[in-house]
Amino acid sequence: MKNKIILMFSIVLVAGFLLTACGPAAEPETSAEEEKVTITIMTWAGADEAAELQTVIDAVNAEATDFEIVHQANPADYYTKLQTMIAGNTAPDLMWLSAEYVGNFAKNGALLDVTDQVAALSDMPAADLDDYYTGPLNVANYAGKLYGLPWIAQPVMLYYNPAMFDAAGIGYPDETWTWDTFKDAAKELTLKDEDGNITQYGTAFNGWPPVHMFMWQAGGETISPDLKNCPVDSPEAIAGAQFYADIIYNPEYAVPQEVIQEQGFGEMAKAGKVAMFFGGAADDLDYAWQNDENNAKLVMALVPKGPKDRTTFAWTAITGVSTQTEYPEQAVKALVALTDGIHHWKVLAPRKSLATVDVIAASVPGKRDSAPVIIQAADSMRSFNIIPRHAEWDTIFWEQFQDPLYHNKGTAEELATEIRPKLEALLP
Amino acid sequence: MIDTGSWVYDYSSTFSHWLIVGIAVILVSFLIQRLLKKLGMNNEASTGLALIMPWFIGFLIFNVYPFVASFYLSLTEYNLLSPLSFSNLPELVGFKNYIYAFTEDPNFWPSIRLTLLYGLISIPLGLAGALGTAMLLNREVKAVGVWRTLYYLPAVLPGAATALLWRWMFNPSNGLINTLLSPVLKLFNIPNPAWFTNPDLVLPSFVIMGMWGIFGTTTVILLAGLKNIPNDLYESATIDGANQWRKFLNITLPMMTPTLFYVLITSLIGALQYFTQALFITTPREAGVFINVYIWQQAFNQQKMGYASALAWILLAITLLLTLLVFRSSSMWVFYESDVSSGKKKKSKAKIKSSAQGGA
Repeated sequence: MKNKIILMFSIVLVAGFLLTACGPAAEPETSAEEEKVTITIMTWAGADEAAELQTVIDAVNAEATDFEIVHQANPADYYTKLQTMIAGNTAPDLMWLSAEYVGNFAKNGALLDVTDQVAALSDMPAADLDDYYTGPLNVANYAGKLYGLPWIAQPVMLYYNPAMFDAAGIGYPDETWTWDTFKDAAKELTLKDEDGNITQYGTAFNGWPPVHMFMWQAGGETISPDLKNCPVDSPEAIAGAQFYADIIYNPEYAVPQEVIQEQGFGEMAKAGKVAMFFGGAADDLDYAWQNDENNAKLVMALVPKGPKDRTTFAWTAITGVSTQTEYPEQAVKALVALTDGIHHWKVLAPRKSLATVDVIAASVPGKRDSAPVIIQAADSMRSFNIIPRHAEWDTIFWEQFQDPLYHNKGTAEELATEIRPKLEALLP
Repeated sequence: MIDTGSWVYDYSSTFSHWLIVGIAVILVSFLIQRLLKKLGMNNEASTGLALIMPWFIGFLIFNVYPFVASFYLSLTEYNLLSPLSFSNLPELVGFKNYIYAFTEDPNFWPSIRLTLLYGLISIPLGLAGALGTAMLLNREVKAVGVWRTLYYLPAVLPGAATALLWRWMFNPSNGLINTLLSPVLKLFNIPNPAWFTNPDLVLPSFVIMGMWGIFGTTTVILLAGLKNIPNDLYESATIDGANQWRKFLNITLPMMTPTLFYVLITSLIGALQYFTQALFITTPREAGVFINVYIWQQAFNQQKMGYASALAWILLAITLLLTLLVFRSSSMWVFYESDVSSGKKKKSKAKIKSSAQGGA
């Protein structure tokens, strides 16, 4: 009898425990304010960036009445962790995504379609879609629906070392600069000593800036806006790729590959070994010298103009809302509020109304002098046309087009003709 | 009010969940023990089975399930963005992923080639090096314990840390290796080798780096093997006038073959699964990537978990095949003392039998 009682008691206990353990996690604590729900955001922010972001989040939380944002920073292996969390049904409510991930996440149902909810919040500044630059806003769209809000659009700029220009007697880069002016200057600014050793390089290419930018500047495309073609073999696209291939790793104009691998890419520009360097608008190249005299003084200019225009590539990232969120309404509100906060912290905020010298200088004081050029570049910035299989597309484009092209294993025309069908096979 | 910022709050929920799971597992074990007893099993057997139940449940959940699931996923076009559930199963594509790997993927065969080449070069070199080191450490020298500890140290360091250390050591301009080599190379007007940046030197660099790990675990295992060789064999050989080389060739090497066999199998598996260091060190594309790194890239960078699962199964098949080959070859070169003993016994039994028959 006693055994039977123990047995029954055990069964009840086990059933109870298992039901509790396997059930959904407890509702997030709401503390004193019952209506405030916890909205988690996962980012790749490093220690310093995370501390700055926390300040932005604190300000948003102080204003919010129905949500509290909690930050989860994962600077290492961000996408591995994020994808694993999504697979395990434990995705954060909000997540940072670089442009190339948006299409895949949207198509596979990891991102919430926020088109209507953002439209309903149009009284909040960051929800006014008309205020956004078209290029960065396109990144947040997939198949005609909005899957988040861009929080940064960093146009590529040309940083130059004025001391080297003065020494060579060359005029500084300005709006009159074309590809030819740039190439000639790069050649003149590459200096050798008596033994023939290069002491100063004109420029540095290393797969960065993206070759796409030059293909666009020539009037070409890598993926058409309707995502139906990959006209990488058009004469315009080939002209852009060929211009790039003529310069990259060519010791007449630029740093050879092995030297970049030894000394670092951006580091060489900062250390005053490169006269012209393409960097993001938010890079500290133009003000790092104020804090550390070991850094070379660089000045920002517009990228040189191509045969068609001066389009510049903008590295863009968005904040998306997870479809796994328990609180979609509050998550979208948090998205809009936080995006506005980030827009006042990062350079460049992808909104026209915030593209002013004062806003940029308030975000990053060291950027005050460069702000007018950044604003000018913003008008012609754009990102990739993103497809869901962008990662695969990009791998083929790099491995079977760019890499062999830069190592003289084929002409731009031959390689482009060969890879076009492979690239188009990945289109949606 | 709950202090939501404290670590106690952060971990209390997880801790309580796992505590409940732990208690539940204990109770399940208890119930199973009672049930088995009721079914007529004796006390010892039912208690034994109940006690291995937690491990068995863990084995089913954390080993068997992923094993079966990965094979299923290898037949699908799965990415991690859609959580798996019975109502949301990924699309089955048959053996498409396997066929793609063998026939179309331009990176598959170079990855397999690099991995096999790495194994082919590093395993024999490593075994020879580790055996030599183990023999040195087997000598009665002063502070031998300190030496043994020093040689085992690399084994306790994390792979990522050693990868970073070696990356610095191999730095072409200011790394330790080139700093030491450059005076000699300058004499012959040879430029400093660009280790991890020259595609031709990538494999040798990884092999050299791989030797580092050998002085840890492998040396210790071989040292244990050396300690097991009976001293009287060497004494008999000395009386017979055998020199050191003859002793090594006829005693040490044959007696060490079971240990070498074990180390060969584990090294082979280790070489095929080379990952951590390869992930931390960027190398030129044309040098190729190790297959395990390639699997990881496909799963998380290319978001092709189904294809990555297929590659993992191909790697498993290759590993099994090579291991089987080594096992099959073992009868030709692995010498077990017990075989000789049992052979002797058989021989002496036969002798006795024949003498008995002869006597009759």
